[in-house]
Amino acid sequence: MIGTRTRTHQRERLAVGWLLAGLLLAACRSAADADRAAPRDPELAARGTIEVTARLVEIPEGAIFQRDLYNYATILKYEVVTVHRGELPGSTLYVAHYNPWLPRAAAADARVEGIGGNLRAFETGQVHRLALDAPLEDHFMGGVVNKYFGQDTGTLYWAVWTNLAEP
Amino acid sequence: MRTRKYQLALSLAFVSMLVGPGIIQFGLDRAAGRKSPLLDVMSGWPNAERLRRFEQRVTEDNWVVRRTRPWMQTAQWLLLRDLGENVVVGCDRWLFYRPSFDYVTRQADDRVPDAASAILDFRDQLATRGIALVVVPVPNKESVYPDQLTARAAAGSLCQSASTADLLRRLQDAGLDVVDLFALYARARREALPAAAPTLYLRQDSHWSPTGMRLAAEAVAERLLARGEVGAATTSYTTRRVTTLRPGDLVEMLRVEVIARQIGPEQVECEQVVERDDGAPYTDDPQAPVLVLGDSFLRIYQLDEPGGAGFVAHLALALQQPVMSLVNDGGASTLVRQELHRRPALLANKRVVVWEFAERDVRFGTEGWQSVPLPPQEGTADD
Amino acid sequence: MVFSTYLFLCWFLPLVLAGYYALSGLLPRLGCSPALVSRLRNAWLLGVSYVFYGWWNPWFVLLMLGVTVINYACVAFLARPTATAQQRWWSVAVAAGLSLALLGFFKYCTFLQTNVNALFAWWHIPPWPVLDVLLPIGISFYTFQALSYTVDVYRGVAAPARAFTDFACYIALFPQLIAGPIVRYVTVAGQLVARTHDLDRFSSGVALFILGLAKKVLLANPVGELADAAFEAQSLCTGDAWYGVCAYAFQIYFDFCGYSDMAVGLGRMFGFEFLRNFDAPYRAESITDFWRRWHISLSTFLRDYLYIPLGGNRRGPRRTYVNLTIVMLLGGLWHGANWTFLCWGAYHGLWLAGERMRGKRSWYDRLPAAARVACTWVLVLGSWVIFRAPTLTDAGRYFGWMSGLSGADATTALPAALFYAPASVVHMVVCLACVLAPVQAHDWVEHMHWGKVLLVLPLFAVTLMAMFAQSFSPFLYFQF
Repeated sequence: MIGTRTRTHQRERLAVGWLLAGLLLAACRSAADADRAAPRDPELAARGTIEVTARLVEIPEGAIFQRDLYNYATILKYEVVTVHRGELPGSTLYVAHYNPWLPRAAAADARVEGIGGNLRAFETGQVHRLALDAPLEDHFMGGVVNKYFGQDTGTLYWAVWTNLAEP
Repeated sequence: MRTRKYQLALSLAFVSMLVGPGIIQFGLDRAAGRKSPLLDVMSGWPNAERLRRFEQRVTEDNWVVRRTRPWMQTAQWLLLRDLGENVVVGCDRWLFYRPSFDYVTRQADDRVPDAASAILDFRDQLATRGIALVVVPVPNKESVYPDQLTARAAAGSLCQSASTADLLRRLQDAGLDVVDLFALYARARREALPAAAPTLYLRQDSHWSPTGMRLAAEAVAERLLARGEVGAATTSYTTRRVTTLRPGDLVEMLRVEVIARQIGPEQVECEQVVERDDGAPYTDDPQAPVLVLGDSFLRIYQLDEPGGAGFVAHLALALQQPVMSLVNDGGASTLVRQELHRRPALLANKRVVVWEFAERDVRFGTEGWQSVPLPPQEGTADD
Repeated sequence: MVFSTYLFLCWFLPLVLAGYYALSGLLPRLGCSPALVSRLRNAWLLGVSYVFYGWWNPWFVLLMLGVTVINYACVAFLARPTATAQQRWWSVAVAAGLSLALLGFFKYCTFLQTNVNALFAWWHIPPWPVLDVLLPIGISFYTFQALSYTVDVYRGVAAPARAFTDFACYIALFPQLIAGPIVRYVTVAGQLVARTHDLDRFSSGVALFILGLAKKVLLANPVGELADAAFEAQSLCTGDAWYGVCAYAFQIYFDFCGYSDMAVGLGRMFGFEFLRNFDAPYRAESITDFWRRWHISLSTFLRDYLYIPLGGNRRGPRRTYVNLTIVMLLGGLWHGANWTFLCWGAYHGLWLAGERMRGKRSWYDRLPAAARVACTWVLVLGSWVIFRAPTLTDAGRYFGWMSGLSGADATTALPAALFYAPASVVHMVVCLACVLAPVQAHDWVEHMHWGKVLLVLPLFAVTLMAMFAQSFSPFLYFQF
């Protein structure tokens, strides 16, 4: 009787073990799929005057929201990782993104053309590869939500193309 | 218990309808070589804000959600004359923007931003540079046309929100020059009744009509000339009649083609301002003594179709001299002054700033009513 | 997570169902005993319920876990064969004290501090800094459920849970976690160990879930907009004020009843059977009758765990009236930390006491049945004004509009544009028809047939489409 119960317990433990192993394998596989690198985007090199890889360090509260009647740009803060083209004065960047609640591929409209990228949504901590223009005033006239207004932001940059950086 | 076919059918159909949108999206993502956005949930430590954004994105990204939404909106319009959460349908298919409607009908809560302080602060800052300020609050369409909102409102009546009345009183008590379009429009409506005069606002748009805009521009010009800060005419302007078709921002906002087609565009008769000598269209002059700040009420007819026929051009027409303008859609409360801060050259040679803002911004202005410093004067160091 | 969202319906629920039934099918084939299968199924439900709950704010899961551990540990202590009567009593006291202290801190701390500060200001004492405490959603529901376990085991009505995961699953069970019905441990103790899964139960759960979702999306959300417009209006005329409170009455009913239907429906999909929470409350003929039909799980909970321990009706009529008023006051306070909820509870308590004086008969019981229903409806509307208004001053203002005593201003006529738009009128009429319908959703799904299936499935499709077209709208009872 005791022997039967022990065997049953062993079988149960084995079953649960197989189940957990299967789940772990599935999770690892989907994570690996997620990390598969995208091919290099030629648009980055062709657009803007500056090309940079930078980490999005902050999305201020209320900086990204959906507006029905009017479109706007919002300023997001980056830390520069690598400058590929052009010059930057420091390691912190303040970049204006147009229609920030939309995927970059859908952000352009009749008033603001020629912007895009493969980024679907902004998340703090993401690393982006950006094609930029500067200063913002020369490239965009419209609503700019700047939660950093009053701080020493230096030049504000205009994001022309925004891709999630390749790992 | 015996399994019945209808139970099986109901359960299978239910599960299919649940998984359908997700599977379709998964297939589309795979076909396009896109990573499923669902995996983004594992891209960082989850917190409440990140999860809300993720959920909204996954929903908005879904093909089925995006494709079925217009069908539902169309059905609601065709069956119930309902245009969704952001549009109130009034009499004779007049459309009203819901936030403006809420501004007029709902009581203000304790979190109302202090518009008066921000405006007076701006006035005082400008005064230190010898620049005067004239403020032009543009009434909500609901305030001027309550009788088009509901037949219960008396014809030609005007409806001013308590927040607006309070702001205007505070500004006038502080000696600020305010162009009162409420009184002007009320008078215009009284005089127009019962004749079928052109309306002051567009039927399916949140903005003023060319008539309403022209009345406002003439009133502001009259005020500027009376103040004496603007000199004699420098340019001779005239107008050219142009007809344009405008779908209406309240219809476009829905992004449903069938509804837009069904409602159809509104024909708008505009007066394009041109130079009398050569017929050249009106253009701003950065050296002009008048700077106009404002929102989409400045954009309409001026930067939008037909161009050069908006408030700024008609102000120039009435003054017979060009002005300079800075337009910030939906951002007249704070964003336009922040933009002015980034463009110091705009204040060079200015003697008066005209600041237009929509009435609803008194409570709902983007970024509230912040105190914004003027840009550093050209030639001085930025402190 | 909210039931009426794309993420819940199209990802969370299918994945949870798939995992649950995969475990049910797979584990026995791998040689697991029925007991282990049942425990692993509960563990699966526990895990996904924590994901569901943590979706609002992952930190809130820790609080729920804390309440779970406190009550489980105290019950484990009191259920020892060697425990003395005093130890058993103290175990319950510690569990109840700690659970209610957590509930009190998170739900009532700010309210208490604000009111103490008002008193301080009266006596010119400097104010106490007010803590801005975030209210974890559903805390009132799961705290009551945890207490029901402790008290039921103490009373000997239920046996201690088989395993921690079973008990934690009962507390966190996602179908009814956020807004009830309040499921008492004794109701589901047996089901946590062994429950039936069959197509009959599953399909009736599906039908009930669809009806609940339709109530929320097609009725509660649209009329909720009207209610918001009324209660936030600058000014209303008398007719519009009554119309607005009717809209709120429909909103709170279809929102909460819709949630409860969905909860019971989901429970059935996982083999559980929860008690129904509503029974046509707006067809009640007295306030006593109303409380037999409205939020039944709360009223029976308060009866069994508060009214009866207070002495119920066993200590004479006067004490009965006092007990009724106390129970309803606390019932009001359970809904939230606001004087409006307290007054709402007092209002109902006084009416209940008044009807008790007449032998549970209403003061208008000589009128015809339809008139009795109408009178009760008016009394309930009055209570909803107090319940919905943000403050007592606002409630007073609203009563002023309803009675025609408040003056009109230039904006008085305008809300009519929203109230009497064709869509609004249609929604209000359908709500009224559903409220008065002789058959309730629970009864309707009992005997399904092809005709009903062919009604329910298109309803589900329309509801999904309407949901996709609406903006996010959480359930009203989430705030309680």
